[in-house]
Amino acid sequence: MIDTAIVIGIIRILFVCIIITAAYIISTRNLLSVVSVYALQSLTLVAIAISLFSLEGSIVLLEIALVTFFSKVIIIPYFIATIQEKIRIKRDIEFHYLNPTSSLLLSMVLMLVIYMALSKIVPETPAHNSLFLFGAVLGISLMLMGMMVTFSRKRAITKVLGFLSMENGVLLFGMFVTELPFIIEFLIIIDLIILVILTAVLSVGIDSTLEDYHKRLHQFHLLKDSEEN
Amino acid sequence: MNLDFFIYLVINTLVVVTISPLFVSLTKKVKAKTQGRQGPPIFQTYFILIKLLKKEVIYSPNSSRIMRVTPFVTMAALLVAALFVPLVYLPEPQGGIGNIILFLYLIALARFFMALAGLDAGSSFGGMGSSREMSISAIIEPTTIIVFAALAFVFKTLNIFDMFASTAANGLLETPTLILIAISLFIIIIVETSRIPVDNPETHLELTMIHEGMILEQSGRNLALLELSAAVKMTILMALLINLIVPFGLTTTLTLAGILIALVAFVVKGSILAGLIGLFESSMAKKRFFQLPSLFAMAFFFSTLIIIMAVFS
Repeated sequence: MIDTAIVIGIIRILFVCIIITAAYIISTRNLLSVVSVYALQSLTLVAIAISLFSLEGSIVLLEIALVTFFSKVIIIPYFIATIQEKIRIKRDIEFHYLNPTSSLLLSMVLMLVIYMALSKIVPETPAHNSLFLFGAVLGISLMLMGMMVTFSRKRAITKVLGFLSMENGVLLFGMFVTELPFIIEFLIIIDLIILVILTAVLSVGIDSTLEDYHKRLHQFHLLKDSEEN
Repeated sequence: MNLDFFIYLVINTLVVVTISPLFVSLTKKVKAKTQGRQGPPIFQTYFILIKLLKKEVIYSPNSSRIMRVTPFVTMAALLVAALFVPLVYLPEPQGGIGNIILFLYLIALARFFMALAGLDAGSSFGGMGSSREMSISAIIEPTTIIVFAALAFVFKTLNIFDMFASTAANGLLETPTLILIAISLFIIIIVETSRIPVDNPETHLELTMIHEGMILEQSGRNLALLELSAAVKMTILMALLINLIVPFGLTTTLTLAGILIALVAFVVKGSILAGLIGLFESSMAKKRFFQLPSLFAMAFFFSTLIIIMAVFS
């Protein structure tokens, strides 16, 4: 077994990596790199799960690491990268309500609020040391930051990425505070894969905003047949 | 003041002044290579400085005393600031030297005089440069203060010497939050030294120049001093980043061998960082002026996060 202090140090470094990737996803305008950063974020989660396994020895963590690695590091980014090749769109510069700068500032406030809220709740649960508290805070913040990406971007493909990074937050929270049953974790991942496959199917219109998606379908004569029948 | 500290003052100033043009040239060289050009030789900045020192100084007839004192005030402020950041040898701190608040004010003083000199010559380019510089510094200054506040929170001290002593004693990466601080400090280096997403150091195009606009009316040895002071500023900010993140080599005892090793280590680490800055510059396009806050927001975000983490855990 590896020394506990070293493992905790590694987990802290991985936390920092997650913060960096989250900030990048929320603020970048370059679509091509968002997918690879998402894959990197998932890989960091895998590493966290493995380090936690060496700390706690619970076999579920290892299974989660394995499933996450295959689904979120390989399959989903691969699908999204394929979609991106098709739609030939490189940058996302349209935003609803919030531009990247203000969403960064807002997510800072969110983290502060979550920290204050959780520091009152968490000490009464089994997960009471500062590492687990911070993991929980980071999990919920990642969830909310993903949500912010989902509603502040206009492009459908970034909305999907926001949703995916939201799920990463759920996973992180699950690893540190409550133990999600493995079956639920697995179902969530199947959900995600179906979502991404749907996105791939709909990729004709994915380079448009959701508002003119319908118009785009008409333009490519995809809706005509079904309307006539 | 004891003898050790006096020797520190001499060594640090000498090292800063001799090394800083090298880093500037290295950055230029890396940028040239990535653009597929040969680039100037790495000692080019030294040659330019020597050439400028031999040339005569010409003042605009509209200029006042400000124009004449600015190069000296800027250089003096930055050389004093350089004393606050030990490059190779780390003595016990004495007096106010090493205080980060004073450090920030010294850098601000240099910038203030630079902006005044830009206005002083009466050329419209200089005025525009000063105006832009001041707008940018109004946005970056709060971020800089927050970053340094985060440093103070993490190390629980206001003195740069104590911070370095703490990192040097612990070796690599005292706390993981230092990674976040490194990103913030890197952004500050880019902004403070007028590098590409903010300003282009190579152009004299009226639409974009900021730093070049302010020193457009300077000539001869005054220009040499201003160029050198820009290089010194870059070096001390780089040294701050290097000695916080990868402090190995920094010596705390005054021996010739130790200082030589520290010097070599610093030059190697500094060259790597200068290369990284060059790569970063080549990979970015210059940002539109009003999009700059998004760059600072990143630094602001990370350093505020550090403060939150330091306060709550």
